[in-house]
Amino acid sequence: MRSAAALLLLLPLLAGAEPATLIRATDLKKDPATDAASVAPLAEGAKVDATERKGGWTLVKTESGASGWVKMLMLRYAGAGAAKQGDSGAAQLFNVARTGTSGTQVTTGVRGLDAEQLANARPNPGELAKMERFSSNRDAAAQFAASGRLESKTIDYPAP
Amino acid sequence: MRFLVLAIALAAATPAQAQFRLDINRLIDSARNVGRATTEFDEKGEIELGRDMAARLLGAAPLAADERLQRYVNQVGRWLASQTERADLPWRFGVLEAPQVNAFAVPGGIVFVTRGLVAGMRSEAELAGVLAHEIAHVLRKHHLAAIQKNAQASLAADALSIALSDRGSLAREKLIAFGTEMYARGLDKSDELEADRLGVVIAARAGYDAYGLPAVLQTLQAMNPEDSALALMFKTHPAPAERLESLEQKMQPTLDAYAAQPSLAERFAAEARVPK
Repeated sequence: MRSAAALLLLLPLLAGAEPATLIRATDLKKDPATDAASVAPLAEGAKVDATERKGGWTLVKTESGASGWVKMLMLRYAGAGAAKQGDSGAAQLFNVARTGTSGTQVTTGVRGLDAEQLANARPNPGELAKMERFSSNRDAAAQFAASGRLESKTIDYPAP
Repeated sequence: MRFLVLAIALAAATPAQAQFRLDINRLIDSARNVGRATTEFDEKGEIELGRDMAARLLGAAPLAADERLQRYVNQVGRWLASQTERADLPWRFGVLEAPQVNAFAVPGGIVFVTRGLVAGMRSEAELAGVLAHEIAHVLRKHHLAAIQKNAQASLAADALSIALSDRGSLAREKLIAFGTEMYARGLDKSDELEADRLGVVIAARAGYDAYGLPAVLQTLQAMNPEDSALALMFKTHPAPAERLESLEQKMQPTLDAYAAQPSLAERFAAEARVPK
């Protein structure tokens, strides 16, 4: 149960509606496209509940109950769920997942990659050797991409 | 190194050992010449440095014990790297068993992402966006340049040349420790924002929904910044809201042109086994 609760906090958009605010005035669109019909104008700072994302668009519900799409990058999330709870429980999720125990076990606290552990780390050549075993190569990766119907494109980097 | 310096100082202060002093001076001169020639990292040196740094990072957190996940992340990462100007580096990707939300680019083509970050992702396009950001750091040698700059300021040229040529030396150990601690200090903000822009392009080149990286940034933006699992990542990167704003200003046309490419949420769920 605890791991499920932590996951909900970590994945706000999967868990359902997430409160968000518009950073600029924009139109609420009927469909996720620039040329889609406008449902209603939305003011800067308008509060909405965001649900699913499609490409660069997010489906939202306004305070007046209208539904439609806005540009994803227009939204900033309140982080309401996490803020109320304090710690997201990501660390607890990790510990529970690793030990496979329920919430009755005392968890060991956050370990891993914080500044102190980076400073005090000793080399682990065994893990480095293990990583080699999992590596891919150009041909295998191209096959993997084809199986996902990923097609490479020629796109220039942006000017600095 | 300190002992050598001390020995040189003692030798120089003893007039009776003039011959020895001459020899030492010649030795120092030749060391300086070697130093001038080898205080820059060539590609081989970059790769060796990266492997030593990666071994340290793996000492802080081992690989997640999930072979299928490790192989999957290597496929995604290698495909992304194939779209770049450094496609022939020995690219290696690893998921670290750590609850913290973070990712690391190591010089020479090694990229790590934490289990904590993977757990918050919803699609292969999001994973690709993060890996592409880290790949961009390697392409532009952001960490290498920072290490080089700081090592030149803090290590004498002689010591740096020893660190580069002798992988068993004390100077080498100091260089690697310094390089690893850099992940706790972070890069310049401009390096991070550049890696975001290039990352979007690399993921789009590889055929992914270009909004993968912005989607991850938005997930991070929605999390509590006081969260202990985010502390190091937030300390070493610009705030997610600022990164999103920068992408919107500079990358919106690219993002929109490639927003309809696959995001492969199902393959990600199967391979990364993220509980629904």
